[in-house]
Amino acid sequence: MNCYIAGTGVFLPARVVTNAELAPLLGVTPELIEDRSGIRERRWAAAEQSASDLAASALGSALVDAGLEAHELDYLIGCTLSPDYQVPGIAPIVQRKVAGCRPVPAVDLRVGCAAILYGLQLARGLIESGAARRVGCFGAEAQSKGLDLSARSAEVTMLFGDGAGAMIVSGAPGPARGLEVIDVLIASDGAYAEELVVRAPGSANGQHWLAPDVLSSGRCYPSMNGRSVILHAVRKLAEAAEEITSRNGIAAQEVDVIVPHQANANLLRSLAARLSVPAARVIVNVDRYGNTSGASAFLALDRARAEGRVRAGAWVLILAFGAGFTWGAALCRGLDGEGG
Amino acid sequence: MLNQVVMSFLSQAAREARTEMPGSHESLFETGVLDSFSLVEFVALLERECHITVRDADLRPENFDTIAKVEAYVRRTAEA
Repeated sequence: MNCYIAGTGVFLPARVVTNAELAPLLGVTPELIEDRSGIRERRWAAAEQSASDLAASALGSALVDAGLEAHELDYLIGCTLSPDYQVPGIAPIVQRKVAGCRPVPAVDLRVGCAAILYGLQLARGLIESGAARRVGCFGAEAQSKGLDLSARSAEVTMLFGDGAGAMIVSGAPGPARGLEVIDVLIASDGAYAEELVVRAPGSANGQHWLAPDVLSSGRCYPSMNGRSVILHAVRKLAEAAEEITSRNGIAAQEVDVIVPHQANANLLRSLAARLSVPAARVIVNVDRYGNTSGASAFLALDRARAEGRVRAGAWVLILAFGAGFTWGAALCRGLDGEGG
Repeated sequence: MLNQVVMSFLSQAAREARTEMPGSHESLFETGVLDSFSLVEFVALLERECHITVRDADLRPENFDTIAKVEAYVRRTAEA
């Protein structure tokens, strides 16, 4: 059975945080942030906005794009590193917030920046098995609320932004210019779990997962071995790109559009070089939105479609890598306006 | 000893970072010679020029932090 991305949508908080605003808090210069990451600004959620609010709005846009009503969804897959609560997950809360959504299964995937790929493979499996016909899949982050705004975390805090993206995965193509999902490849290697980690709250923190010293110790903030992450990310993403294209009978250099997780501009440049593809084929929005983790590749995919980069017959390669490590690739093909 | 191509890469990186070429035991990262972008290029160059394969488990910044550590790593890997 064929599987399609029938619609996409995004939602970004209104507040723009420039490097000029952020840099003094982190004890660095705005220029250093741009040099290190390629990021010029990012969005931060308002105090009254949670990740599920962003997700519900993005999912609503994706439904419109797919020409569907909320009651036509029969499964929700939600991905976030910045959930509204520890329990329950974000997906049931989004089910509540999307008007008209029936009491469908709603499940969270905690796979960091590779969210879109894990969500897509699960959605595809549900559709192919007949368990679902239309799956709403989203990535949403309000991670600015969990950042350490001090010099000790400058290298990490400068990267992250908030936002949400969603897609409707369906057994039928939508009315807009969507994509046919050809193949999905995902992987993980837990040997590197602590290279990119938020340690608390969590049950590996002794007797109490939120001990009184958690804030002062910094264990509730993201911690990253940036050099290790980029070394592994470029290698694993290139290997995934080569494997998924090879097993589908094309060369990586034949891909028309690369939709990568927007980690930072350095990684995107390194990836293009490693794959020997022109940088112009790589969708880049990290300069405007920063690294939005689980939402990032959703935002990039929506941008590729909005800019008309996903032409009929175009090979589209989605690549993502994140905490875990988890990573992978999805190979898709652009459809024409009628879905054929 | 690292070959001329590898050393030329580091010399060029030092010029771009507007710093002196670091001594054998000075950090390539702290002196600004290697950043996260050039580190990826540097490891690929080592694999090509020194005819080694850097295993996933060895893909750690500390293996490439100084010229001495790079030389030791390349020697170890080539002998393995």
